[in-house]
Amino acid sequence: MSADLNCREALDLLQEFLRQELTPEVETAVTRHLAECRHCLQHGEFERNFLEALERAVGRERCPESVRQRILAGLRESPPPA
Amino acid sequence: MATPEERTASFEREALPHLDLLYRVARRLTGDPTRAEDLVQDTMLKAFRAWDRFEAGTNARGWLLTILRNTFINDYRRARRTPVTVDLELAEPHRIFQTVAESDPEGEFFRRVVDERVVAAIDGLPEEFREVLVLSDVEGLPYAEIAAMLNLPLGTVKSRLFRARRHLQAELYDHAVEAGIVRPREPTP
Repeated sequence: MSADLNCREALDLLQEFLRQELTPEVETAVTRHLAECRHCLQHGEFERNFLEALERAVGRERCPESVRQRILAGLRESPPPA
Repeated sequence: MATPEERTASFEREALPHLDLLYRVARRLTGDPTRAEDLVQDTMLKAFRAWDRFEAGTNARGWLLTILRNTFINDYRRARRTPVTVDLELAEPHRIFQTVAESDPEGEFFRRVVDERVVAAIDGLPEEFREVLVLSDVEGLPYAEIAAMLNLPLGTVKSRLFRARRHLQAELYDHAVEAGIVRPREPTP
């Protein structure tokens, strides 16, 4: 991968960049492009705000305590494996 | 050979920390809190019965999610009314960003869309898209781990994620316009 990315290449890599799925070299190339390109940086913020909205809406729910207690009770009643 | 007490203790130590994640995934797969609770309970008790077959030190999260998913498919999934392969259209990959580029380039509207609408949009995705989106973008699993778990090529995982995200962005944008959070762009003559 060449050191300099154009906007098209940077945008295509943006989601994987935000999900930390890129190799260190490619990640560095995207970081460098975003530092110099306001348009792509804004697009990055757009994608980041989107991912945060998902996390906020459904990523913080906890398993109800009653279910946890039922499972713990089930572990103690469960017969040993044959 | 572990005593029953040691067996229970190791299960509680290694499997129980994943309970919240399993519940969230079950919640999105079933679309219903009560069924999600039952699915998680069934999953954990099945996992406990099979605990001797789990290799200590390997990926407990992936192992538990696989049991959850198999249990869901076998016992919980309602008969599909829609065809098995649903595809999400992808006319223009960056359409929403282009639409808001002048008025709200950083997508601030995503911060103001109420959580209920985000939940409804996720739950409205076809299952094969919803599943990868939740595992990746809500629970943070690496793409390769998702591909291995779902027995899919990595490229399929990426393409489903890409389409699912674009589809959700379009839904949330439409909602934001409806709710007056963003003003639709004036049609250019």
